[in-house]
Amino acid sequence: MSTTSIPAQPSRRMRAARVGLIIAGVLGLALGAYVLVDTVALRRLPGVALWIGAAIVLHDAVISPLVFGLGVLTRRAGHRLAGGIIVTVQAAIVLGSLMTLIVLPAIVAQGLGTKNPSILPLDYALNLGLFWLALAAASVLVSLWFYLRTRRANQRPSRFQS
Amino acid sequence: MRRLMYEARAQLASPVRNPRMATVIGRLLGLAFLLCFGTGLYSHFLQQPLPWMTFPTRPAGLYQLTQGTHIVAGIACFPLLLAKLYVVFPQLFQYPPVTSFANFLERASIALFVGASLVEITIGLLNTYQWYPFPFPFKQVHFALAFVIIGSLLVHIGVKLPLIAAHWRATPAPAPEERHPVDTASVQVLPDVAEGAAPAADGLPRTRGLTGRVLSYIDRTPELPARTSRRGFLTTVAVSVAAVVGLTAGQTFAPLDAVNLFGPRKKGVGQQGVPVNRTSAQAKVATTALAADWVLTLAVGGEDRSFSRAELVALPQTDVDLPIACVEGWSQMASWRGVRLRDLVDLAGGSPDADLRLISLEQRGGFKQTEMGNEYVRDPLTLVALELNGETLDLEHGYPARMIAPGRPGVLQTKWLSRIEAINA
Repeated sequence: MSTTSIPAQPSRRMRAARVGLIIAGVLGLALGAYVLVDTVALRRLPGVALWIGAAIVLHDAVISPLVFGLGVLTRRAGHRLAGGIIVTVQAAIVLGSLMTLIVLPAIVAQGLGTKNPSILPLDYALNLGLFWLALAAASVLVSLWFYLRTRRANQRPSRFQS
Repeated sequence: MRRLMYEARAQLASPVRNPRMATVIGRLLGLAFLLCFGTGLYSHFLQQPLPWMTFPTRPAGLYQLTQGTHIVAGIACFPLLLAKLYVVFPQLFQYPPVTSFANFLERASIALFVGASLVEITIGLLNTYQWYPFPFPFKQVHFALAFVIIGSLLVHIGVKLPLIAAHWRATPAPAPEERHPVDTASVQVLPDVAEGAAPAADGLPRTRGLTGRVLSYIDRTPELPARTSRRGFLTTVAVSVAAVVGLTAGQTFAPLDAVNLFGPRKKGVGQQGVPVNRTSAQAKVATTALAADWVLTLAVGGEDRSFSRAELVALPQTDVDLPIACVEGWSQMASWRGVRLRDLVDLAGGSPDADLRLISLEQRGGFKQTEMGNEYVRDPLTLVALELNGETLDLEHGYPARMIAPGRPGVLQTKWLSRIEAINA
C-alpha cells in the first residue's frame, strides 16, 4: 500500500509545479509583450521580429551545419589519432571561432570609429591573432601529451585500456 | 519528408546530445540568465525607481559588482547558449513537426525563447561597444526581451520538468537514451520508413545521388568513444566560458586587468585615468561649462542659493575613493575631492528628508535630469566633486562640478551640474 501512496505524492507535486511554472511563464511572456508594445514605437517592432527570426535562421542554418561539418572533417582527418587529440583540435577551433564571433563586432565598431577614445582602446585584431596562436600552441602541447600517453599505454597494454 | 527528418536526427546523434547533458548545460545557462535578469532589474530600478523604493548605499562598490556581474554573466551566455543549442539541436527535426496544439505552442515558445535569447545577448554585447546597427532602440527592447526570455524559460522548465528531474543527478549506469541519443521513439520509425515510403531504397547502400554520397561519406566517418566525446564537450564549454569571461572581465574586476585582451574598456584609459561614457561634445556643454559666470544653484529651501566654483572650493573639502561604474559593465576606482552634498544642502537651508533632482547643463539626453533618493543625499560619501585623482575635474568628467555617490550607475553621477532642486513629495 505504500507503493500506491508514495509515487502519487511526488507526481501531484510535480504537476502543481509544472502548472505553476507554465502560468508564471505565460504571465512573464505577456508582460514582455506589453512592455515591448508600450515602450517601443510600433514601426520599430517589425525590426525586432526580423532580428529574432534572423537569429534563429543564422544559428540553425549556418552555425549548426558548420559545426557539424567541422566534427565530420576533423574526425576523418584524424582517424588514425587518439580521440583525445581530435577532441583537442575540435575544442581549439570551436574556442577560436567563438572568440572571433564575440570580438569581430568590436573590430568592426572600432573601424567605424567610436564616440570617444576610451571606448574600444585596445588592438583587438592583434589580440585575436595572438589568441589564435596561443590556442594553436596549446593544442599542439595537449595533443603531444595525449600522443605520448597513448603510446605508453599501448606499450604496456596490461595497465590501462581505454 | 519523414525520412529526411529521421536521417537528420540519426546523423546528428552524438553521445553529447542526451537529456542529461541538456540538464547539466541548461542549469548553468538558467543560472546565468537569472543572474542577468536580477542584476538587470536592479540596474533598471536604480535608474527608474518606483516611488516606495530605497536602495542600499553600502558597499560603495555594490553597483560595480551587480552590473559587472550582469555583463560577465551575459558574456558567459554565449558559450553556454550555443552549447545548449548544440545538445538539443536534433530536436529541431522532430517528425511530425507538430503533434497537437499544445505541442505547437510549446515549439513556438521554444523558437521565441531561442531567437529572443540570441538577440538579447547580441545587442547587449554590441551595447558595450556603443555600436547600434539594429533597427530598434536598445534599452527598451533589451528590457522587454528580458521578460520574454524569463517567461519562456519558466514555460520551458515547466514543460520539461519530469525530464529535468529524472536527469538532475547523473545516472549510475548509462540509461537507454544515453546509448541512443536519438530517442527510442524515433528509432522505431525506421521500419516504418522502410515499408512505407521508399521501397526501392530499402536495403541498398546509400550511394545514389548527391545526398546519398554525402550521407555515406558521413557514415564512413569514424565515431569517437562516447566518454571522450562527453568529456571533450564539457571541457570545451568550461574553457570557453573561462576564456570569454577571463579575457574581458578585467574592465570591471581589477585582478583580471592584466589579461584584459578583449574588454571594450581598459582600466586607466581616459582623461585623468578614468574612461568616459558621454563626452562634452556629445552633450553640447563645452561653452556653458567653461563660461566664467557658471554657478551651481540650489533650490532646496526657501530661497535659491548659488555658488560659483571659487565659492565651492572655499567650502570644507572631503576626499573619497569611489568607483565610477557604468551600465555597460566597466568600472574604475578613482579619488574624488569636493563638497559633501549633505553639507551643501544644509547650508542652502534644505530639509534633511528631501529627495533631490539633479539638473545638468546638457541640453538633450535621457539623463540631463536625474533624481537622487534621500539615502544617497545624506550619505557622507556623496560629493559634489570638484577634483579627480588630484587634478581639477576634466571637462570630459563633468567640470566645473559633478555628482559622485556610492553604489549608483555612472549615468546617475550627473556631470556638468547646473542646478539641484528638492523634490516636493
